[in-house]
Amino acid sequence: MKRTVDVDAQPVVKVVGLHKTFVQSGPWPWSESREVRAVRGVDFTIAPGEVVALVGQSGSGKTTVSRIVLGLEDPTNGEIWLDGERWDDQPESQRRGKRVRYQYVPQDAMGALDPQQTALEHVVETLTVLAGKTPEAAHDEAVSMLDRLGLGQRLHALPREMSGGEQRRVTLARVLALRPKLVVADEPTSGLDPDRRESVLQDLIGNLPEDAGCILVTHDMSEARAWCHRIFAMLAGRVIEEVDLRQDAPVHPYASVLFDPWSGPLPTQPLATEGCPFRPDCPRASEADGDVCARDEPALSPADPRQHRVACHVVEAT
Amino acid sequence: MSEPLVVMDGLTIRAPTRTLVEGVSFTVHGGRVTALVGPSGAGKSLTARAVMCVLDVDPGLVGGSLRYPALDPNVDWYEGVRGGGMSAQQRLLARTRHLRGAYFTYSPQAASSALNPGRTIGRQLTMAIARRQTPPDNLGAEIRRILQQVGLQPWAAGALPGELSGGMAQRAALAIAVAPKPRLVIADEPETGLDPVLRRAVVELLVQVCKDEGAGLLLISHHKDTVKRIADDVIQLRGQHGETGGTA
Repeated sequence: MKRTVDVDAQPVVKVVGLHKTFVQSGPWPWSESREVRAVRGVDFTIAPGEVVALVGQSGSGKTTVSRIVLGLEDPTNGEIWLDGERWDDQPESQRRGKRVRYQYVPQDAMGALDPQQTALEHVVETLTVLAGKTPEAAHDEAVSMLDRLGLGQRLHALPREMSGGEQRRVTLARVLALRPKLVVADEPTSGLDPDRRESVLQDLIGNLPEDAGCILVTHDMSEARAWCHRIFAMLAGRVIEEVDLRQDAPVHPYASVLFDPWSGPLPTQPLATEGCPFRPDCPRASEADGDVCARDEPALSPADPRQHRVACHVVEAT
Repeated sequence: MSEPLVVMDGLTIRAPTRTLVEGVSFTVHGGRVTALVGPSGAGKSLTARAVMCVLDVDPGLVGGSLRYPALDPNVDWYEGVRGGGMSAQQRLLARTRHLRGAYFTYSPQAASSALNPGRTIGRQLTMAIARRQTPPDNLGAEIRRILQQVGLQPWAAGALPGELSGGMAQRAALAIAVAPKPRLVIADEPETGLDPVLRRAVVELLVQVCKDEGAGLLLISHHKDTVKRIADDVIQLRGQHGETGGTA
């Protein structure tokens, strides 16, 4: 992957002190509802050209963070800045016209496609409705983008006539044809075979505009390692490590479980609600000073967000 | 090596325009983990369906023989089906109905979505246990034992699938798969869509429960690391042409 990251330019995404609390109702109408703190203090910036992976177990808050960044959910607390502009406090009427620049690739490609539209019609419609192109210009651009993604022979195929990989490519073509500034892709390769995953990511990241940022939500660590400049590992609604796996190895005691689950024993205890969430299962907690792991939740350090950072009382970033 | 449960020899399945599976031969042994691997479109799921005699392809089965030696070493279940098209495959389906859910059970992708949402876990386990040849002396105790084996509390027997968390529903589905005391459990990509930590937990539980219950496991998997760590035998299907079976 040869994308240049312009770290001095204005960040594409800046997230400050993000919190999100959901109220979850039980299975029955009379069940008591409870509060779920899905995101508990997340800060990061993404520079133009940068591809960042959000990784973590189910329920760690990855999808919630990525949806809030695009304004598909409202944060309970915190700020979202896109392209230097405060995004989360704008009313939808103001955001609507700008959404064309910030695009989302859904996990369920089949569910995101209209069963009655062909591959070409999907992309043409996006270009005419969202980007305001004339039908003729939209047609030419759509054909060229679908051709670049290897769908040149499948322009008139309906979703049900396409393979899983082809359906994904239509959702990618629809997003990439808009030349977005930011693409958030929520597990764009889930359910595909390993040999097809690689080519879908190649199509997505290889065709991103040069100055676009990208957030890739994924469960596949080898994908994150191969395609992303930085990886944000999440646990219980917080980022516990920010690392470029092409340069550094992860050091957080939980990250080693997450990045290579077969390397040692699996966590068995529920996450702690006070102090460090991983403490009940942490093999390194005994090395800490006193009961600091049980008392205080560690923050990411060092402070410089461009460095390898880790949130742990015991280990330090390399 | 323990007794063979399934002996497949020269399985060949054709669709109208192309060959889906050609000349696949393998043996699945009891008490062992056999992984079925191969690139997409190599016919992994189709091969697993052929093992269960669930075929509805036209013209479908054109070659091969299938034996369940632990049941009867002399019967070739594909006798009279080869080249017979859909109607012969329907007859095979009817003839082997008593084996599905008894001699072998099937755990589909996203196993928890295969639970019946309107019946309690205990009721679904009761129905699965009823497939056994010899019923247990104490049904309630047996249900509690199986639930404990998959790491569920006894109260789960009274719960509807919707009242369980995703991980608990997955465990309940596994309990139902092993409840009939099958000789073989066939699991189709049990780790699909799970995060890496949960993926290992689910696969390890599956292997452990099958070993405890004395069942063989035929596992379809995409994940090389899973296969490398847990499989005793590997059946490798190659791409569109010239698949061959083999054990490693």
